[in-house]
Amino acid sequence: MEHITTPKVEQVKLLDRFSSRATAGTLYLTATHLLFIESNTAASEETWILHHHIAVVEKLSLTTSGCPLVIHCRNFRVVHFVIPRERDCHDIYSSLLLLRRPASYDDLYAFSYNPKQSEQQRAGGWQLIDLASEYERMGVPCDHWQLTDVNRNYKVCDTYPRDLFVPVSASKPIIVGSSKFRSKGRFPVLSYFYQEKKAAVCRCSQPLSGFSARCLEDEHMLQAISKANHNSRFMYVMDTRPKLNALANRAAGKGYENEDNYSNIRFQFVGIENIHVMRASLQKLLEVIGTKSLSMTDYFSGLESSGWLRHIKAVLDAAVILAKAVTVEGASVLVHCSDGWDRTAQVCSLGALLMDPFYRTIKGLMVLIEKDWISFGHKFADRCDQLDGDPKEVSPVFTQFLECVWQLTEQFPQAFQYNEWFLIQIHEHVHSCQFGNFLGNCQREREELRLKDKTYSLWQFLLNDQENYVNPVYQPGFSETHPVLEPSTLPFSFKFWRNMYHQFDRSMHPRQSVLKQVLSLKASNRDLEKAARALEAKLQKQGVFLSIAVDSKSKDPVHPVRPKSLILSAPLNCKEDEQKLSVCDRVRTVEGSSSAENGYNEEEEEPASFTKPEPTLVSLERGVARMTC
Amino acid sequence: MNCGTIQSRAHCSCYTAPSQFHLKTQTMASASTPTYNSNNLENNSSKNASRESLRMEPLADVPQLPGEERITDKDIIYICPFNGAVKGKVSITNYRLFFKSFEVDPAMTLDVPLGVISRIEKMGGASSRGENSYGLDITCKDMRNLRFALKQEGHSRRDIFELLFRYAFPLSHSLQLFVFLSQEKFSENGWNVYNAILEYQRQGLPNNKWRITFVNKQYELCDTYPTILMVPFKATDEDLRKVSAFRSRNRIPVVSWIHPVNQAVIMRCSQPLVGMSGKRNKDDERYLDTIREANGQTAKLTIYDARPNVNAVANKATGGGYEGEDAYQNAELVFLDIHNIHVMRESLKKLKDIVYPQVEETHWLSSLESTHWLEHIKLVLAGAIQVADKLSAGNSVVVHCSDGWDRTAQLTSLSMLMLDSYYRTMTGFQVLVQKEWISFGHKFSSRIGHGDKNHADADRSPIFVQFIDCVWQMTKQFPTAFEFNELFLMTILDNLYSCRFGTFLYNCESVRDNMEVKEKTVSLWSMINSENRKYINPFYTKESSRVLYPVASMRHLELWVSYYIRWNPRIRQQQQNPVEQRYMEMLALRDQYLKKLEELQISDAPRIANNSNSPASPMQLVHHVQTPL
Repeated sequence: MEHITTPKVEQVKLLDRFSSRATAGTLYLTATHLLFIESNTAASEETWILHHHIAVVEKLSLTTSGCPLVIHCRNFRVVHFVIPRERDCHDIYSSLLLLRRPASYDDLYAFSYNPKQSEQQRAGGWQLIDLASEYERMGVPCDHWQLTDVNRNYKVCDTYPRDLFVPVSASKPIIVGSSKFRSKGRFPVLSYFYQEKKAAVCRCSQPLSGFSARCLEDEHMLQAISKANHNSRFMYVMDTRPKLNALANRAAGKGYENEDNYSNIRFQFVGIENIHVMRASLQKLLEVIGTKSLSMTDYFSGLESSGWLRHIKAVLDAAVILAKAVTVEGASVLVHCSDGWDRTAQVCSLGALLMDPFYRTIKGLMVLIEKDWISFGHKFADRCDQLDGDPKEVSPVFTQFLECVWQLTEQFPQAFQYNEWFLIQIHEHVHSCQFGNFLGNCQREREELRLKDKTYSLWQFLLNDQENYVNPVYQPGFSETHPVLEPSTLPFSFKFWRNMYHQFDRSMHPRQSVLKQVLSLKASNRDLEKAARALEAKLQKQGVFLSIAVDSKSKDPVHPVRPKSLILSAPLNCKEDEQKLSVCDRVRTVEGSSSAENGYNEEEEEPASFTKPEPTLVSLERGVARMTC
Repeated sequence: MNCGTIQSRAHCSCYTAPSQFHLKTQTMASASTPTYNSNNLENNSSKNASRESLRMEPLADVPQLPGEERITDKDIIYICPFNGAVKGKVSITNYRLFFKSFEVDPAMTLDVPLGVISRIEKMGGASSRGENSYGLDITCKDMRNLRFALKQEGHSRRDIFELLFRYAFPLSHSLQLFVFLSQEKFSENGWNVYNAILEYQRQGLPNNKWRITFVNKQYELCDTYPTILMVPFKATDEDLRKVSAFRSRNRIPVVSWIHPVNQAVIMRCSQPLVGMSGKRNKDDERYLDTIREANGQTAKLTIYDARPNVNAVANKATGGGYEGEDAYQNAELVFLDIHNIHVMRESLKKLKDIVYPQVEETHWLSSLESTHWLEHIKLVLAGAIQVADKLSAGNSVVVHCSDGWDRTAQLTSLSMLMLDSYYRTMTGFQVLVQKEWISFGHKFSSRIGHGDKNHADADRSPIFVQFIDCVWQMTKQFPTAFEFNELFLMTILDNLYSCRFGTFLYNCESVRDNMEVKEKTVSLWSMINSENRKYINPFYTKESSRVLYPVASMRHLELWVSYYIRWNPRIRQQQQNPVEQRYMEMLALRDQYLKKLEELQISDAPRIANNSNSPASPMQLVHHVQTPL
């Protein structure tokens, strides 16, 4: 690679972010990764940092021990190296600046990543998620909703997918007319169909209404959506922006629907802030939690003034309103913001997640993301800063969505098939540019890049180790009794997502997790079952027939073995290095001021354990996942 | 649970519905019978009467304990802070206030032990205008207020106010506390849980360094200490008497706990009486040095003064103080910065203000911070961690505050909980509370104000609540380390106030002996141990020698929402934590497998003799996961 001048630097120190611990090692710069290998012989731990994950590289002023290089990653890893010679540091620094953000898509990791799969497997991966069958599952087309071919060639709206569902009564001229009255041509289309009440969740962008403009086709379009639902005499139009922002947009010839011009609509603002506010908020949050020896006061006031949890609450509040309007009132809802690809995507997808248990399964979440985010043109390339672009376009909108899902999994642990590790993995790869799914800003762009031929799909990769992502307390039966989730959105219901934002900070990990306990019991049950089977088979062979029934209803329907995740303190499968981890267990905790856990006598006899000699109680849940495979 | 509760729970158990409609039904349910109400435990049968018949004869089903007597019944309006005024009838007994609505369905009930009441006030006068402006305002010790409205005509309030006042504060009216009238019987006798000699024996005491002394047999040495004390073998009873003259309230340093391996000890005492002039006492100095020498490893005895440095200095003005460096050359003094009872009282009061009746929404985090409650929790835990850490390292420590019965009890008991897994069992915890809190004279009577009308008494303070909160924080961080669950902790707190049991009555052992508490009252542990199944933590895994170091960092501490905000109907009160539930199911499944295996092996038994490769016996398998009771 032409950007790499110094591929290897020795005697580099890696400083722990919160304690004063430092480890020495060697730094390697490869075409795709920055790699740090500890020189400690016993357990030389490795830190892999994908170039695309790097958000900010800082070279601090020279100190006596060397030149400090601080790297902030999009997956919230922060590493602090001290490089002995300033020249080496500068070389690495300037290489990273060039490597982290390539100028064109072709230089992204996804195009060089090769997991050694056959062409057929690659194609299979891309066929895993099929949106056509998803719409069918929802119950469209039906009497009132049909597939339109108006956008077959991306002519009407180039940021929408080709296949769109619209009311049967909306003719082509109406659609085209409406699209001309909507920002970026994003006219109202179906996002989710709630079959039980025939109510629809539709999405679009803001109308180009300015102070007084009207568009008859657009008014017809909304009327058609409203009429397609016989359950309700009116439909809601939900503008997810704060009213002030919408008002300001009027001056630019945009704005919001005037209730007087549209028959039977109920218009409502829900007040989610824009991408710039969200970006600044996350920035502030990261600053606060990154502070060494943070006082309680600074923590709380910092957390509050960052506004992060307040924004999460605003998004979830909007989704709750949406779900309620659809499921309780049976009304159709049209959701928009400014361009209809950020807040609209958040609210539509979370609303659907609250209404439909399918989206609470592993496959379902993939479908949801594929539909509301990828196909409807959430600008992943701009928001996640994939190429060297406008920093003002970068915003953690999708991260917020994942966090909202996580907050829901915390409130309803039994309702979700996936666990937090699944969400973290998705977040990881949205920024890794290792898979084709999230590249580019819209479907048209993705087709032009021929991603399906040149890159691999993340979904295949995640499904391959699905067992790592299964939530052990998931109860499929729960969705039958509680198809619609109604979460609490009181402020204390929102927690700081420690495992996401402190994912790579060992000292911040919990000491013990119930999840782990559940999993080891589950594993031991499986082994017991196996033992019973084996014995039964043996007896049968010897001619003894016995059938002692085990209540199979309570048997676990799914497969999970112990997931290997940071939360469960084991690294991801590419590098099995549990021994290394145990060495690192002896870290003095920050603020806790405790020394390593030391049992004071050895009288504890290890009971004859049937399962892996994994003690049900592991003292410290620590470990850093190796995310780069 | 009564039938009304179950029904109403059934349709609200999963949601906290923001919509008005849902909120209503749910409010009824949760407000009426909080899950953790201490009193709904024993009323199962009496509450089973059908709701229809209740309509006809209001308050036919007032729960009644043996020995409880009805005082009066009255029509009243309960002004529920969550859903407005509710008409009903109140029944007052010598133990409780019981309210039942007649107009809402399912019936709403309030069941409040009179012991919980801290203050009763009249609101409005006979000429007050406005609906429901004339009545009673009752402040409770458990984070809530109750308001009742009465009809203005005919002095209807006077009788009920006087009766309530009389029975809520019996000691201010020369009446007996309910506990002395109670006729409750349990299969277990909780007074047998703690025996000082047996507990010291369990710790391996006395030995050749430490001896039991009976110098306080008649409470002649120190009237707030128990009769049996553990002191250095080398110190004579005469020495102890001399030392006692130099310690506030004669509370001399005595052993609380000894490390089974390194023989380091935790000693507790009160502040030395140094005074302004900086008095010294040779006997005290020699006594502390004897302690230091006892385990042979302690180079410097660490004295933890729980107070902030300035407070300790200020105490000199009133004759107290701390161990000076010159006088105690072989000791190091560490201040732990924990504030006094007045600060803690105000902190909890502020916390109540932001959670009851309405939860502060707009500035939740900064409001929570401004109460400093979690900050205090953090300091107490951090102090206990330091003590435990020091002890693990083989150093003996002395802990004191001013009088050695508030902060000292918190620190010694929490560090013992960290160091000794015995105290994390159901019985062990009862022993810990009996020993460190009750027998060593935490002034329960003054801190709680049992049966006393003087609500503004400056001696009142939630020190014990704070301790239980710290324990709860530990159970959150180590979910498998404690045999008891959250309900156990809540039950303890509810009965801290209820005056149904003798456990927390009076300030010290000498008074309890005088009042014949053990003979005349029932212990809380009697009730708990008679039905301990529901207090068992299913995740508990028995272990013998692990030191728990919780993280006293704000990233890990959280507000105990299910206790402090439990009266708010918007708190989701799940009958059982879904994770716990799932775990129980899996445990049951495990037992089925084990049974099956056993049966299979029995039929395989004849063959085992000549077949060596049979799987492990079920008895071996059972070891590594504990059996649920």
